Amino acid sequence: MGIEMIDKITDGVLKYPKTVLIIILLITAFFTFQIYDNARLETNLDKYKPDDHPEFIASEKYEDLFGINDAVIVAVENDSDPNGVYNPDTLKKIEEISLALEKLTEIAKGDVNSLAAADNIKGSEFGLEVDPFYQEIPEREEEINNLRADVEANKMISGRIVAEDGSAALIIAELKNGEIDRLELYQKIQAIVEPYRNSSENIYIAGQPVVEGTLAHLMPQDMKKMIPIVIFIILFVFFLTLHSFKSTLLTMLVVLFSTIWAFGLMSALGIPIYAVSTMIPVMLIALGVADGIHLLSHLNQEIKAHPGKDKLELIKDMQQQLWKPVVMTSITTAAGFLSLLTSEVLPIRYFGLFTAVGVISAMFFSLIMIPAGLKIIGLPNLKIKESDKKAADKKFFHKLSEFVRKNRKTVVIITVAITILAAYGASKIWIDSSMLSKFNQDEEIVQADRFINQNFGGTTQLNLIFQAEENDTFKEPKYLKDVWELQNQLEAREVVGTTYSLNDYLRRINKVMNEEREEYNRVPDSRDLVAQYLLLYSMSGDPEDLDRLIDYDYRQLHIQLSLKTDRSQEIKSIIAEIENFAANSSLNEFEVEFAGSAYTNMIFTGLILEGQILSLAISLVGVFLLLSLLFKSFAAGFIGVLPIAVTAAVNFGVMGGLGVSLNTTTALISSIAVGMGIDYAIHLLSRYQYYGIRGFSKAETADKAINLSGRAITFNAIVVIAGFMVLTFSTFPPNRELGWLVSTALFVSLIGTLTLAVALIDLMEPKFIFNKRKDDQNEK
Amino acid sequence: MRNKIIIAVVALIALMTVFGTVSAADLSGEEIMDKVYNRETGDSRTSELEMILINRHGAERIREIKQYEKDFGEVEKKIMFFISPADVRNTSFMNWSYDSDQSDDQWIFLPALNKVKRISSENKSDYFMGSDFTYDDLGDRNLSEDEHSLIGEDTVDGKDVYVVENIPVAADDLYSRTVTYVWKDKWIGLKKEFYDQEGELLKVLTVNEIKEIDGILTIADNEMHNLQSDHRTILRTSEVEYNTEVDENLFSERMMRRGI
Repeated sequence: MGIEMIDKITDGVLKYPKTVLIIILLITAFFTFQIYDNARLETNLDKYKPDDHPEFIASEKYEDLFGINDAVIVAVENDSDPNGVYNPDTLKKIEEISLALEKLTEIAKGDVNSLAAADNIKGSEFGLEVDPFYQEIPEREEEINNLRADVEANKMISGRIVAEDGSAALIIAELKNGEIDRLELYQKIQAIVEPYRNSSENIYIAGQPVVEGTLAHLMPQDMKKMIPIVIFIILFVFFLTLHSFKSTLLTMLVVLFSTIWAFGLMSALGIPIYAVSTMIPVMLIALGVADGIHLLSHLNQEIKAHPGKDKLELIKDMQQQLWKPVVMTSITTAAGFLSLLTSEVLPIRYFGLFTAVGVISAMFFSLIMIPAGLKIIGLPNLKIKESDKKAADKKFFHKLSEFVRKNRKTVVIITVAITILAAYGASKIWIDSSMLSKFNQDEEIVQADRFINQNFGGTTQLNLIFQAEENDTFKEPKYLKDVWELQNQLEAREVVGTTYSLNDYLRRINKVMNEEREEYNRVPDSRDLVAQYLLLYSMSGDPEDLDRLIDYDYRQLHIQLSLKTDRSQEIKSIIAEIENFAANSSLNEFEVEFAGSAYTNMIFTGLILEGQILSLAISLVGVFLLLSLLFKSFAAGFIGVLPIAVTAAVNFGVMGGLGVSLNTTTALISSIAVGMGIDYAIHLLSRYQYYGIRGFSKAETADKAINLSGRAITFNAIVVIAGFMVLTFSTFPPNRELGWLVSTALFVSLIGTLTLAVALIDLMEPKFIFNKRKDDQNEK
Repeated sequence: MRNKIIIAVVALIALMTVFGTVSAADLSGEEIMDKVYNRETGDSRTSELEMILINRHGAERIREIKQYEKDFGEVEKKIMFFISPADVRNTSFMNWSYDSDQSDDQWIFLPALNKVKRISSENKSDYFMGSDFTYDDLGDRNLSEDEHSLIGEDTVDGKDVYVVENIPVAADDLYSRTVTYVWKDKWIGLKKEFYDQEGELLKVLTVNEIKEIDGILTIADNEMHNLQSDHRTILRTSEVEYNTEVDENLFSERMMRRGI
């Protein structure tokens, strides 16, 4: 039935090739318009997080309770003036930038903190004063000196908002809740600071939203630059292997159209393009050329074998012989990507879904557009006199099959050894949700981040919350003092810049109320005094300051940690230290909770990876079952799935061994390994079966199968590897990693298929290949 | 001239008519507000105040305060003693507000520290004790600080009111304008709306209960709702007595320390 159907389709296509092409072009044009009209890049990382996960719910609750928001951090450095930022000119610039930031619609009203806005808690002949450092920018030397003395005496400001040596000051602008386009914000902030860049001051911009904005700015930029080169290289290598401009053109159209359909459908459905979706073209380039290569390399061989044969007949023969592996490989690859639908993370689900759509479109184009195209533009014009080169090819694959079969046990043993080694490497793999590590060291954001981390607390916020049962718990000095000890212990760590809690206010007020004597720079000793200081602060200061650190019932205490890194390993270790400290102190009565983007990013990455590994496992089982079903043999499933599993293991092993962190990009590479590996396996097995069931001897079957499918798989691998190697020259580190990891995965997959699978077939002599052959036991 | 604290919260609105018979048609916004400002409220007053702060999460902080106020002509003095919560009991706060341009003098006594300290708050638009009332909202803001105009008549809770718009003279005021709903013939505000510098409605003050005590209309319960932060402050006044014998010596550091 299958053959009849494909014949009918082929006949139809060959009868009306132009109509078919025009219909495809029209649909493609429709999708192209959809992309132009509706495509929208999603740059807000919060949109990626599943909001029903307990850690995210808790984090969101505390973010709301304490007004925790991501902040843009602008540092103004003056290294030419001996007084640093303490001069009227620089102070004026700080004030102007603060005001401009405050006017942005993305920034919460009144939530821009800087020397221009900060309150100073100060003792005077009066008693307690909580007032801005200055109402008008100080001009005279004496005023400037007073300001400097005021700042340096206040540890809530010095080292936090103004560098301890006075060389730089920060402007911290908190984002509003809700939908904020990070890329747009990034551009607005760049525009604000632009006029100040070429002055005596240096300007640095950092903070989570800026990191996200920079990523949203650089990643597509790099992709735009690299993808045409990738395509060009693929075309070039493709041309070298197939010796035909026509074949190259048709295959590239398959890839291009399948990408347009995938993105067009996404846009038409109003689904935004997430960062991970930018990987879809990469996947489709790698996967989409496979069908074309198999069809066209078969056609090439047939043309060479039967030079005089009719064009239509050759095309029909190509369709008849190959439609099954093409459909099978596409469906199984698509199924592999659909396993990502089990992920908890929406963008990953879409990634899986639309890559699957692209893969199926590529299959459709390969089986429809290639024959239609060939009918119109004619068969590839091949120079037939390449007999010596062809012989060399044949010789190579013949030798390869002979070698592998002769050393089949060695092949298996070596594979086992490699797998063990890879497993060891994989055990060293570490997960990283750091966004900053995605950039080059000389990138502006990295330098800004480094500058702020050197001179101030740190750009990464970790929010720690202790939650008690009883109201008024955190007026008790017993608990506050333990929290203070914890703050001290954490600050002793290199990566923890500053910590900030209610204690910092209480200590400052206590000191000020006791004639600025240093011995009173401590947490008050009685609960009543704590309560009275808080009441006092509500009369003279802005009580909203405290709402960020303690809830209304004094039951939930918030401690802000400023970190100099966003690496998951460090954050995990800090969290472990906090939990350990809490368990061994009076704080063990309380729930320890965390919030903020550094924390949720880390949890989020863990979640993605959990999902990735689960879906990898599911897809391996799925591949096993599908292959078993397709070839009606569990042996086929086993032989097909093993090289894929080895590829995945080697992929993780190489990453672990070379210290490449597992992140959301690198984790997806295993999907390519599965997608490609399954194609290779199906092509090899179906060739084996084709010759096996026709009664060829074991050696002949292997020879023919490897010669035909091995050639196509090798072409395929060479073309795609050549394309991806281009990415290793990218300026964007994640793309570089992507380039060489995909290349490695494809290479391992290729070798695994041609050696391990062949050796296994030889060892197992599975029935689905050799059941017709009983007379041939003694070949050797 | 500095703010007159809490009591005068009430004073802003809780004023009594002197010339209750003047007919509406003849009055300008300026004249209406003048009547509100100059309503007779007695020379001295003692009361108990309950201040309830409610944040947008619905959490409450409740404070009970005993307060004494007296007008000495040139200076108006007020002393407040905290009754609860227990951990701030006997904390006291004293404010002297002068008719001249002199800034208010403020003191606080913290029993746990056993010290009286002066405190300073330069800004009249600071919120008082984390409430939604600024010092300015609480004190009787000088009539000449705004330009007043009658913009209509309306009813509030079935009572006929004048609607008066007040536009601050100073450009840097916290508000761009306020709208006062003045009860006809009683010369007491029943509602007030505050608009921020962007012209957005910031706060609404509503009166929940008015009592007549010693012949003086007194606001017993009112509520300020900040619509932008969704924070609310309820002020309830009880045990009000007017024109009681309040000793001048009460308004001293010694009394602050002694407590009630």
